[in-house]
Amino acid sequence: MKNTLTFPNGLTRRSMLAGLAAGTAVSALPRRAHAQDVTLRWWSPQGAPAQAEAYRYQIAAFEAVNPGIKVVFETTSDEGYAPQLAAAFASGEVPDIVTHLPSFAVQTYYSNGLVEPMDEVIAAVGADDYYEGANDVFKAADGKFCATGIGNTASDMLWLRRDLMEASGIAEAPKNWDELRAACQTMQKDGIFGAPLPYGQNSMTSLIFIGFIHRAGGSVFTPDLQLAIDSDATRNALEFYKSMRELCPPGATNYSWGESLTAFVSGACATGIYAGRVLANVTAQNPGIADQITCTTYPTMQADIPAWTFNDFPSVFIPAQSKQKEAAKAFAAFLFDPEGYIRQLHAAPGHVLPVLKSISANPTYQANEIIQKYSAEVDLMSSAAAGGFNLGYETSEHASNDKAGEVIASNAIADLVQRVVLNGDNVDTALSDCSKAIEAIMQA
Amino acid sequence: MTTLTQTPLERRYARLGLLLIAPTVLIFCAVIIYPLVSALYLSLFKVFTPTLESSWVGLANYRELLASGMFWSALVNTLVWTAGTLTLQIVLGIGMALVLHQNIWFRSLARSLILFPYFISTVVAVLVWKWVFNDLYGILNHLLMQAGITNMPVDYLGSMPNAMISVILVGAWKYFPFVVIAVLARLQTIPEPLYEAARIDGAGPIARFFDVTLPQLRDVLVVIIMLRAIWDFKEFDLIWLLTGGGPSSSTETLPIVVYRQAFALNQMGMAAAWAVSMMAILLVFMIVYIRKTRDKGAV
Repeated sequence: MKNTLTFPNGLTRRSMLAGLAAGTAVSALPRRAHAQDVTLRWWSPQGAPAQAEAYRYQIAAFEAVNPGIKVVFETTSDEGYAPQLAAAFASGEVPDIVTHLPSFAVQTYYSNGLVEPMDEVIAAVGADDYYEGANDVFKAADGKFCATGIGNTASDMLWLRRDLMEASGIAEAPKNWDELRAACQTMQKDGIFGAPLPYGQNSMTSLIFIGFIHRAGGSVFTPDLQLAIDSDATRNALEFYKSMRELCPPGATNYSWGESLTAFVSGACATGIYAGRVLANVTAQNPGIADQITCTTYPTMQADIPAWTFNDFPSVFIPAQSKQKEAAKAFAAFLFDPEGYIRQLHAAPGHVLPVLKSISANPTYQANEIIQKYSAEVDLMSSAAAGGFNLGYETSEHASNDKAGEVIASNAIADLVQRVVLNGDNVDTALSDCSKAIEAIMQA
Repeated sequence: MTTLTQTPLERRYARLGLLLIAPTVLIFCAVIIYPLVSALYLSLFKVFTPTLESSWVGLANYRELLASGMFWSALVNTLVWTAGTLTLQIVLGIGMALVLHQNIWFRSLARSLILFPYFISTVVAVLVWKWVFNDLYGILNHLLMQAGITNMPVDYLGSMPNAMISVILVGAWKYFPFVVIAVLARLQTIPEPLYEAARIDGAGPIARFFDVTLPQLRDVLVVIIMLRAIWDFKEFDLIWLLTGGGPSSSTETLPIVVYRQAFALNQMGMAAAWAVSMMAILLVFMIVYIRKTRDKGAV
C-alpha cells in the first residue's frame, strides 16, 4: 500500500520532499531564487479545467517550499499566443515562464534574443532521463537549448470508429489516400460526415496541411531551408484536400482545433484528425462510442511514402526579459517533479505524452484508466510523436527553421488552402503567391 | 491707425487663462497628439515587433501597401461592412424606436431589454452567434432543416457571401440599440402640434413619418451616422472573432490587417502605415460627410 502522508493543505509528503529538492536545486543555481515577494507569471495554451487543476497543484507544491514566491497561471490559446507574446515582448511585460508552445515558435523567439537558454533547467531535471533526442528540436544555432520539452504530442493521428467501419464493410484502417477517401465516402451517411479536416483561416489549417504535403512526398523547405513548397507534392496534396471537402461538415471552412475535435468526439464525423485528447473527451462526453474508437498514423498518398506525424513538441521556456529568471528556472525544473508532472499528464491522458523515461515507466503514470484502456493507441501515439516533425524541424536532415513560427502565424499556407479549395483559384497562381509570401518572411 | 494695448490687469487675466487651459492642452497632447505623431513616425520605419528593432525606410511602407492588392481589397471589405451594418442599424434603430415610442404594453421592460445586445461583451455575443450559426448543432440550421428549407446545413461563416452577410447582421444586431436610444430620446421631444397639424392637413402615418418625424430626427441622425460610421469602420473584435477575416480574405477589413501586420507578421512599422492610411481615409470621408450635411442643413 502506498504510504501517503497528507499535509493540511492537501499536499503529500512526496510533493513536499520534491519541493524541498527543488529548493535545493534553486540554491545550486547561480542566484538565489527564493527572494521575497517574487511573483512568477506562467502562460500556457493548454488550460482545460483538468489541466488547470493539475497546474494549481504544482503551483501550491512549489509555493509551499518556496515561501515568498507566488506563481500566477494565465491561459493563452493555440491561435492567440503569437500576437500575445509579440505584444508582451514589445512592451517588456513578459510572462516569466511559458509552457506548451510549439518548438518552432520558441526557435523564432530565441533567434531574436528573446528567450533564455534552458541548459541549466535540463541539467536540473536530469539530461539522461529524457528520451534520446527529445531535446534535439530545441537545440539552437549557438549549441544551447532554447527550451526543453514538457511533452510530446502526435497531433494529426487518424481517429476511427470501429462500429462505423464494420457497418460499412471496411475491414481495416485506410493505408493510403484513395482508401481513406473511399472509406469516408462509404461512412458518410445518416447525418454523419466523413472527416473534420480544417479549412479555416488559421494555424491549424496550415499545420495540418503541411503534414499532407509531407505525406505526398514533399516538403515546404529543402533541408538547407530553400523554399520548396511549389512542387508536385503540394499540388497532389491540394488536389486530395480539395476532394475531401465534400466529405467534411459545411462549417469545416471555419474549423480550428476545438471544432475539429468536437466533430469527431460528438459522433458527427466518422473519422477524426487530432491528438490524444480525443480519448479523455470521448470518455467524458460521449462514452457510448468509447469502446469503438481507435487511431492510426494518418495515411500517406501512396504506401511507399513514409508516415509523417506532426509533433508540435510542447515546450517550456523562459523569456529573456523576465526579471525573475532564477525563480522561473527553479519552477521550470519543478514542473518535472514526478507527482505534479504525472498529474499534469493525467489531466489529458494520451494527449501530452511524457518526455522522461522515468515517468513513462512510473507505475503511477501507467495506472491511469484511460492510458490502460487505450494502451495500444497511447503506445502508437508515443512512437509516432517520438519520430514526429513540424515546420521548424521538417525532417531529421532539415536545418532548424527559426522563421517557421512567423510562416505559420502569417496564415500563408492556410490562405493557399482556402484559395484553391474554397475559392477555386488557379493552383499555380495561388502557389506562386504563397511562395512569395513565405519568401518575404524568410528574407525579412 | 490705432494700437490695442493691454492693461496689466488684462495681461494677468490672459496669463491666468493660459494657466487654466494648460492642463487640458497637456492632456490633449498626451492622449491625442503624441500617439498620432508616434504612429506617423513609426510608419516611416521597418520595426520588428517583439524586439522593436527598427530601421528607417521613409515612405517605403506606404508605397508597398498602396501597391499591394491587399490594401484595396481590405478597403472594399471595410466599406461593404461599414455601409451594410450601418444601414441596417439605422433602419432597425429608427423602426424599433418608433415602436417603443408608442403606448404599448410592457414599454419600460421592452425599452430595457432592447439595450441587451449593446451591453453584453462582444466575446459573449460572438460565442452565442457562433453556436447559432454552427453547422452541426446550431439552432438556425436545425430549424431550416426541420422546416425542409434545406437538406444540408448552411455554412454561414466559412463561405461567401454568407460570411459577410452574417457578420453584417450580427454587427447590426449588436449595435442598433445605440440608434434606438438616441432616436427615442429625440422622438420624445418632437412637439405634438406638428403631428396634429399634419393630421388636419390629411397626412397619413407614412406621410407624417417622412414629413414630420424624419426632418425632426435629421440632426440627431447626422451625429449618429457619423459616430457609428467611425466606430464601424474601425471595428475589429466582432469580425475577428466571427470569421478571422476569412474565408480566404473575404471579410478581412483594414483593422484586421493592421493587427496581422503588427502581431502575426511582426511588422509594427507597416502596421502603423496601414493604421495611418486608415485614419486618412476616415478623415476624408468625415470631412465630406460633415460638409454635405452642413450644406443641406443650411438649405
